[in-house]
Amino acid sequence: MAQTLEFKQSSHLNPALMDPQTRTLRADKLLGKWVNTNRETRGISECVISQDGEHFSVSALGVGLAGPVEWPKTAAKMLANLEEEGGQRAVALRAVFDFEFMSVETQIRVNRGVLVVVLYVSFLDHSGRSNYVSREFFHRQD
Amino acid sequence: MQFAQICDRVDVDSATVLPIDLSAFPGTWVNANPDTTGIARLVMSASAGNLSLQTFAIGPNGLIDWGKTDAAIFTAGPSSRLGAGFTCGYDFGFAETRLQGMIMKGLLVLAQFHNFNDESGRADHFVREYFALNHGRY
Repeated sequence: MAQTLEFKQSSHLNPALMDPQTRTLRADKLLGKWVNTNRETRGISECVISQDGEHFSVSALGVGLAGPVEWPKTAAKMLANLEEEGGQRAVALRAVFDFEFMSVETQIRVNRGVLVVVLYVSFLDHSGRSNYVSREFFHRQD
Repeated sequence: MQFAQICDRVDVDSATVLPIDLSAFPGTWVNANPDTTGIARLVMSASAGNLSLQTFAIGPNGLIDWGKTDAAIFTAGPSSRLGAGFTCGYDFGFAETRLQGMIMKGLLVLAQFHNFNDESGRADHFVREYFALNHGRY
């Protein structure tokens, strides 16, 4: 019997979403240690993406005053990424870093060998700082 | 002031925080890809410092109105008061979609996280699309 699928846009009916291989497309392209392409960054200097079975996690180092600041290792949600530029098919990650004073929602993907991380930073400490969005680029460090 | 990266170490007088400038957002944002099978357009509106948007997606028989939702606002930096991005979510029951938007030089880059809660076997997936504002200037 044909399955009736609920949808909210035509792409929800893409047959590729039913392909089991879609869930693990080129996940290896994300794994490893990544270093910020901007050596003058005042944000994240490096991040490490690791996989344990079906589970991904992300850790990061922020640039601090007297040395790197360790961000909490965070579980990441993996999603199939079927429409990357140039017909690339890969996976993307969403991870939320929770600090007491701040929460950072991230979008992580690879485009032609460059790790692109978009950060939505929300301050929880009433410090008057604006919640903001930024984007950083990383290259793989072997 | 706590920070996890020095770019967040800024001098801000929390007693005199100005409203965020939301002028970059309001209007109808149209997908730059005429062949999209995803979101066709977003109608964004700002009122009393709040941002909301209404999403229209491509369906087999015409546009599907996802309805209006409130959006969290993000600026360009911790000391900026210029709106530059937003996040929001839709819960459809069978699926949840999270939207993350970032405006760069007048282009809205919209990331979509689609998570299925039904037993359909469909993969949760990520989509990124580009939208331009119908500004009518040229």
